[in-house]
Amino acid sequence: MPEPLKKAVEADGSPAVARLSFPARPQWVGVARLATAAIASRLDFSIDELEDLKLAVAEASTICITANGGGDVAIECTLADDRIVIAVTRSGAKPARRAPDQGEADLSGLGVFLIRALMDDVSYESDHRGTRLRLTKLLRK
Amino acid sequence: MSRSDKTEQRERIRERFAAFAVTRDEAIRDELVLEHVNLVRYLALKFANRGEPLDDLVQVGTVGLIKAVDRFEADRGVEFTTYATPTIVGEIKRYFRDKGWAVRVPRRLQELNLAVNRAVEELSIELGRSVTVSDLAARLGASEDDIIEAQELGQAYNLLSLDAEVGSESDGRSATLAEYVGATDPQLEAAEVKLLLEESFGVLDGRERIVVYLRYYQGMAQTDIARRLQVSQMHVSRLQARAVAKLKASLKVG
Repeated sequence: MPEPLKKAVEADGSPAVARLSFPARPQWVGVARLATAAIASRLDFSIDELEDLKLAVAEASTICITANGGGDVAIECTLADDRIVIAVTRSGAKPARRAPDQGEADLSGLGVFLIRALMDDVSYESDHRGTRLRLTKLLRK
Repeated sequence: MSRSDKTEQRERIRERFAAFAVTRDEAIRDELVLEHVNLVRYLALKFANRGEPLDDLVQVGTVGLIKAVDRFEADRGVEFTTYATPTIVGEIKRYFRDKGWAVRVPRRLQELNLAVNRAVEELSIELGRSVTVSDLAARLGASEDDIIEAQELGQAYNLLSLDAEVGSESDGRSATLAEYVGATDPQLEAAEVKLLLEESFGVLDGRERIVVYLRYYQGMAQTDIARRLQVSQMHVSRLQARAVAKLKASLKVG
């Protein structure tokens, strides 16, 4: 039998937090994917769920990278007993050129919907302060 | 496509959905499905690295698209693509689940893992230096991400023999994995088939039902059934054939 995964939660019961920051360039999306998978695998997610997490994080990173403006992309993973919460943010970004009421006629705006289809809870904000996504995936027993 | 073209296209699609809502016309349905095949392709591509052919993913995704077209209510004020995405993704994910694909991905990584180990040996000799990830990616025609993943995760998914011992029982005797593997219970399965059949009996009329019951449940011969029902054996044979055909048709549809 494979060795049981180490507990993600700290000894005092508080959630474990892991952070990663990388340049806002597409070449780094793969790093974000792999790092998140490695972090998330500390909880007992199935391969299926890990693949979903990787895909969602790649989409969220892409959204941050394509948002206009400067600054790195930051990923913060919070591991609790029953869930992982992944915050993907890029600060200092100017608001996206596309007005929010433009609709989704082209496919580039679909990332958020794809993420919503994969995660248990998703929040998404983009304004003058930056772009922020918060993805939550629950651990099913 | 310019912005005004896009607005026009969106307007046209909205109008087609409105027409479909009223007429349920097959031709409009086809048109709407074809109009959004790109969406399916885009989403299927996102799942293309999980060990199933892209064409298959596009196909099951299209099933999701058709469902979405059928259920979409244009007057809710939601864009169709927004509405359809979870349906299509759901269908693709269900396909993986039905395939038992949790086993497939590790296998893909495992094969790559083996190939990586082999390539490291070969390339070290050829290059006369330590091998890099990009060397391996180029040699194996895989992405660098896949190489790293295969190396990192490949270890975690070692195949287990059915005879592998999995912990010891309280009496100190250790059990093998095989002992924990369940099997199909034939009686349970038979019960399920019977239940399924009986649900279909509704399509039979009274006499057909009696013939099926006596013939298949009681195992009576056609001539005995004929005597019991006071009809000719030919007639029993016709009733039986008709009943079986009806049952077959109803099971095929359901």
